[in-house]
Formats: sequence, structure tokens, C-alpha cells
Amino acid sequence: MSHPKYKPSRLATLPPTLDPAEYDISPETRKAQAERLAIRSRLKREYLLQYNDPKRHGLIEDPALARWTYARTANVYPNFRPTPKNSLLGAVVGIGPLFFWYYVFKTDRDRKEKLIQEGKLDRKNNISY
Amino acid sequence: MLKTILPTIMLIPLAWLSKNNMLWINSTMYSLAISITCLPLMNLSCDNSLNMSLLFFSDSLSTPLLLLTVWLLPLMIMASQHHLSKEPDSQKKLYITMMVLLQTFLIMTFSATELIMFYILFEATLVPTLIMITRWGGQTERLNAGIYFLFYTLAGSLPLLVALVYTQASVGSLNLLLIQYWNHPSIQVWGSSALWLAYMMAFMVKMPLYGLHLWLPKAHVEAPIAGSMVLAAILLKLGGYGMLRITVMLNPITNFMTYPFLMLSLWGMIMTSSICLRQTDLKSLIAYSSVSHMALVIMAIMIQSPWSFMGATALMIAHGLTSSMLFCLANSNYERTHSRTMILARGLQMILPLMAAWWLLASLMNLALPPSINLIGELFVTTAMFSWSNLSIILLGINIIITALYSLYMLITTQRGKYTYHIHNIKPSFTRENTLMMLHLTPLLLLMVKPQIILGTLY
Repeated sequence: MSHPKYKPSRLATLPPTLDPAEYDISPETRKAQAERLAIRSRLKREYLLQYNDPKRHGLIEDPALARWTYARTANVYPNFRPTPKNSLLGAVVGIGPLFFWYYVFKTDRDRKEKLIQEGKLDRKNNISY
Repeated sequence: MLKTILPTIMLIPLAWLSKNNMLWINSTMYSLAISITCLPLMNLSCDNSLNMSLLFFSDSLSTPLLLLTVWLLPLMIMASQHHLSKEPDSQKKLYITMMVLLQTFLIMTFSATELIMFYILFEATLVPTLIMITRWGGQTERLNAGIYFLFYTLAGSLPLLVALVYTQASVGSLNLLLIQYWNHPSIQVWGSSALWLAYMMAFMVKMPLYGLHLWLPKAHVEAPIAGSMVLAAILLKLGGYGMLRITVMLNPITNFMTYPFLMLSLWGMIMTSSICLRQTDLKSLIAYSSVSHMALVIMAIMIQSPWSFMGATALMIAHGLTSSMLFCLANSNYERTHSRTMILARGLQMILPLMAAWWLLASLMNLALPPSINLIGELFVTTAMFSWSNLSIILLGINIIITALYSLYMLITTQRGKYTYHIHNIKPSFTRENTLMMLHLTPLLLLMVKPQIILGTLY
């Protein structure tokens, strides 16, 4: 009997054993895969050493995660250097809109005030405003 | 007022003289009892204020804030039990003393009649908070945080002292009840703009306004849990309360002086809400959301319409309780994983289901879900801003959407999804933590039924 062909879906990806392209992978890609596997195994070994240590009392900390959060939260300004691109970004996003919205609102309110002074605005009497 | 202030001061000898195993129980229970003594203040007659003496009074604006303050002290004490459990007993007692001292100053600030007394106590609240942040905070950045917090607020409030002393000299009295009748000179000179700025800058820094908000993420993140709670819930509202009191006497300069601050608040609330979407640190997200909500309050106070004042006071109380609850929830995560990174503790709904219920309610309150009082505040402010200028609805609408986005982002990241493989050894929720969340949530839910009490003087 013939087995139906395996169709990969979003939650069930094609395993490498069924993928015909697996046999055509270049040596560079193989070397990269081996390096990544080496890093993963080293990290897993360090984790398991700490996990199975009977004298460990506290949490196991991931130093890479600590470095990442430190870089994202506390180490931003020491590595900041004003460049034309980020000064322009700061001006356009931080300072420009303040003046832009000031002119927008001022013109809108002055127009409304002019209409009120001329008596043309429909101002019904509101109890709450 | 003495019936509240004297027992609060006496909490200090209570802390120092308690037996060590009864310390937390005594201080929590007695501070809860003190919070009950403040409830009769709600029995106010129409618009009037209850003038208890020459020094203290309470009206419909200061009463809800006062109740929030006294309600928060037992909650702060409950929240601090775990992280202080390993410290020597004298340090625990010192911590409780700092909290009680801060509480006393806050009670006196919210019920002060004279503006100079308000100012002195406003400054005095900085000292216990600074001590709490720099001594008991978690990371080394707490020293930097303390310095930013202290010097930003001091620099903002020194002109306020000058302005108050000048007004005392020229008008004769700084009694809050009398200065409403101060007639302004009709000639506008540069000096009157400077006077307006001097009055407002202290509160702008405290609120904080978007351009001057740099101290807030640092101070909130580095503070211990009680420090974060009191900072978010009450110290920010000191700025709002001061602004609400002072704007009654600052017309008509206010007409054109408010524009820069309105623009900063309008743009700033969108900016800070957007920053919340990119945060990795949970407490930092809640801190930036505080800035965003307070920007709404600043806008409401600047446009000075009856609805906006009602919205401002409602938003202050609602945000106080919600933000404090979110910090307590973040702290319960921190005590288990010793890290504030959001993605480190994911999928908690599977492991701590009751805590997930509190997370859900707190996030829903934060995004101003109807019919909560957060929505009442935001809706009143939005409507008043719309009548101020029709185009503001664009910015306010964007902000409401982004608020919903980051609140749900926080909820989904911490609660939903597959849990990380290393958090199987998380301790289950303590009864103390569940009580803490319940005590935060009960006023929020009950106020939905009668929001008139938090709507302030103009209801």
C-alpha cells in the first residue's frame, strides 16, 4: 500500500529526515549548523551542571539575558552619540509635533473665537460643558 | 484632623515597641483601623468644605485623596513583608517608620489650609521617599534614581516658594478659602507670566509633564514595592491636587500660558504610551503608563472646565488604585523570579490562576474599560478636550488605542502562552498577596457604583 505524502502545515513543520533538500546542503551551512550546535550544547551543559548541583539553593541566572536587559534599559545613554540622522529623528518626532499641533490648535480655536465674536457659531445653552 | 494624624504618628512607637513576631500584624491592623477614622470626612454638605481648624480642612477634592492615602498605608505594609523578611528587626522597624512618616506628611498635605503649610509638607514628603528608594531599592541604579527624583522635584518647587512668599506679601493671606477671591491686576506684564510659571512648574515636575518626566521611570523602577506604590498612587497626585488648588487664582493669564503645557501633554501622552509598547522591564512599563495617564490629568486641569476638573479628580483616584495594584502584581512576579524582565515569567495563567484573575482585572482597569472609574475620568477629560478644540479627539483617540494595546500586551506577555520551562518551581500565591490585590480592587469596584464621591468639587 502507498503511504500518503506528508504535507507540512503551520504547526507541524517538515522534519529534516523527510526533506530532500537536506542532502544538498553546502559545507559552509553544515559548518554553521555545527557551530550553533556547539554553542547550544555548551549552554545546555552549563545549565544542567547548575540544575543538578545538590548544593545550589537559588535561581539559575542566564547571563546573556541579564546583559540584554541591561543594554536595553540602563546602558542606552552612554552609547548614544548625536548623529545627523538621530538628531533629525528627535527633532521631527519630539520637537516638531509640539509646534505643529500648537499651530493647528491655535488656528482652530482662533477661528472658533472669531465665529463666536461675530455671533455666527451655533452655541446652544449646555448645562454641562 | 488630629484624630487621624495623632494615631498615625503613634504608629511609630507601635512599630518600635512591638514584639518582633507581632510587628507586621500590629502595624497593618492599626493602620487599617486608622483608615476607618477618615471615612466620616465623606459626610460633606453640598459644595462646602469642612473647616476643622485654622490649619486643616477637607473638601470634596481633598477627601478622596486623603482616603486613598490612608487606605494605602496598610497595603504598603502588607506588600513589604516579603522583601524585608531577611533583614534585621531594627531595619524593618526603620522601614515602617519611614512609611508612617511619609503617611503623616501626606495626610497633613492633603488637608492643609495655608498654601505655605502645603508647600512645606510637599517638600517634606520627598525625604522619606528618598530614603526608601536609596536605602532599600534593588539595584545599583537606585542611587542615580534617588538623585534624579530629589533634584528634579526640588528644582521645580523652589520657584513655587518664591511665588508663594511673594503672594503672601502682596495679597496678605494664602488661605485656600480666601485666595479664590483675589482680584488680579488687569495689566498683563512679563512678571505675571513668570509668576504663573513659578506656581505651576513644581506641580508640572511632580505630575510629571512629558518633558520633565525623566525622574519617574528611574524612581519607580528602582524603588522597593512600598516606595513604588506610594509614588505612583499618591505622590503624583500631590502635583495634580496642587494644580487644582492653584488654578482658581491664576486667571486670566492662564488663557495663553497653558498652550505649551497642553501641547507637551497631548504629544507626550502618545509618546509615552508608545514607549510602553517597547519596554522589556515590567515596572518600567507601568511607570511610563503612569506618565501617560497623568498627562491626561494635566490637560484636564489646564483647560479648566467643570467636566474636566471632575474627570481629573476621578482619574487621579482611579489611576492611584490601578497603578498601585499593577506595581503589587509586578512585585509578586519579581519576588518569584528576581528579575523584572517581562518575558522571563510568561504563561503564569497556568501556574497561578488566581493571580491571573487579578492581572486581568488590573489590566482591564488600566485600559479604562467601562464601567470602571478609569473610564469615567478619561471620558470626562476627552469630552471636555473635544469641546476645547474639536481636533484634539484625533490625539486622544490614538492615545486610548495605544493604552489598550500596551495594557493587553502586558497581560498577554505575563499571563498567556506557554510558560517557560524554568519556572516550575514558582511558589504559589500567598494569602497576603491575594488579600493585597483584593484590597486594591474593592474600592475600584465599589466606586463604580457611586462615582460622585470622587468627582471632586464641581459635581
